Amino acid sequence: MNIHVKTALDYIKRSPFQALAALFVLTLTFFVGTMLAVLVYSSANLLKYFETRPQIIAFLKDEITPEQVSALQNRLTGDVRVKDVRYVSKEEALEIYKQATSDNPLLSELVSPTIFPASLEFSVMDLSFAQEVINEVKKEGIVDSVGFTASLGGEKTLEDVVGRLRTLTLYLRIGGGVFVGVLAGTSLLVILVITGMRITTRRGEIEILDLIGATPAFIRSPIILEALIYSAVGAFVGWLLAFLIWLYATPSLISYFGDIPILPKGTLNLFGLFAIILVGELLLGVGLALSGSYLAVSRARRNR
Amino acid sequence: MVKFAHVSKSFGEIKALVDVSFEVKKGEFVFITGPSGAGKTTLLKLILREILPDTGQVVFDGEDIVGLSQEKVPYLRQKIGVVFQDYKVLSERTVRENVEVPLAVTGVSPDEWEARVNQVLKLVGLDERSELFPAQLSGGELQRVSLARALVINPKLIMADEPTGNLDWETGDAIMELFEKINKEGKTVIMATHNKHVVERLKKRVIELKDGKLVGQTRVKSEEKPKIKVKVEEV
Repeated sequence: MNIHVKTALDYIKRSPFQALAALFVLTLTFFVGTMLAVLVYSSANLLKYFETRPQIIAFLKDEITPEQVSALQNRLTGDVRVKDVRYVSKEEALEIYKQATSDNPLLSELVSPTIFPASLEFSVMDLSFAQEVINEVKKEGIVDSVGFTASLGGEKTLEDVVGRLRTLTLYLRIGGGVFVGVLAGTSLLVILVITGMRITTRRGEIEILDLIGATPAFIRSPIILEALIYSAVGAFVGWLLAFLIWLYATPSLISYFGDIPILPKGTLNLFGLFAIILVGELLLGVGLALSGSYLAVSRARRNR
Repeated sequence: MVKFAHVSKSFGEIKALVDVSFEVKKGEFVFITGPSGAGKTTLLKLILREILPDTGQVVFDGEDIVGLSQEKVPYLRQKIGVVFQDYKVLSERTVRENVEVPLAVTGVSPDEWEARVNQVLKLVGLDERSELFPAQLSGGELQRVSLARALVINPKLIMADEPTGNLDWETGDAIMELFEKINKEGKTVIMATHNKHVVERLKKRVIELKDGKLVGQTRVKSEEKPKIKVKVEEV
């Protein structure tokens, strides 16, 4: 085994409580980091889903001709702000109604296709286009009224729904970022303190190494390696715990959210997402370890 | 190998060395003697570049080490094996690991470690105790570890600061025999000591310091007493 790795492992074995303290803090940081990374991914996907899926429905008047419908449909299809234009006839509207009220057949028995208006359903490429497209469609002579299908928690308009999701996502990102930042700062301080203590307790050893011709890099190597071990193990364990929790919760989440892709579809894609998070966290861990130990070593050199 | 030219060093008001000049040739065995506070350790520290002189020139292996940059100091030290009075062994490493450390420091391939460590441990008589920790060794054995560590890198110069200072008479003699053996193999040895018995027994060149001044250079020719004593001015 490399002498630096052996020395670093010896340091850890000889101060198990320091090592545990460092590992706990780093594991907590990376556990929260992983949870938050997946939450940010999911919320972004949720937002994207609602942003790109808003069904704007233009209800058509009863007396219109198929040519008039075709003309409006073609115009909307040619509009770069609009996508997925679909004509829903009175009969199809009844079918949708029947499906929606399938738990109460009496409701569907009492209605006939004639009471449902035909409609044109479409989405907008970006939510910012929604209002102006709606205003334009409202002015069409064959359109009776315009409405939205999406609605969460009593919001009146699609904009409210997406606005609320945007706010939630923003809070999640800011709040989570601050929380992870505080934890990362704490981890950095813990590494700094432990490295500083290591330098103090090993002062005699450092002096001997210095006298027998060890370069500063040689003397620093085991101390920095120790910090790297804490970070790497902390990152991996924190990530693993979060990964297991997400893995356990995935079937329920997929079943709850249905078509909304809050997690990547397919096992490989899910593992890919977590692999990316792990690589990112290991890099962050290396950064924390190097900066923490470098700061401690520089401080010790200044005080010498 | 080592040359001091008009070297002076003060620590505040205390003059540790005053205008000291001497030369040690390759393969020589030289004692630095004198009472406590005479400047022996200061002299060794100057060779090891632990401290810098106030004035004068210190040359090691043809290079003026006073002007050596801080980055090059470790490489200077890697050419010098040092045996300390207080051993300075790494207490949490075994005898073998203590001797391996300088090999790692000097970048010797780990494949060579075992053979070289075994060789020096056998030379100092610690081959049977290589897996023990310093706490399990006697003072004499610790000094042998220190010597083995100094020898393993095959240095150009071996310096020893009171190597028998903490040892009993018999163990001290055994250690000195080892130094003599190493010197006979061609290594340059500079040893600071105030142990007259050791100096007289080995009959080597002596550089005598007092109050930081070089007061004489003596070559002991017999065990009884020095026959040749030359004042510095005459040298």
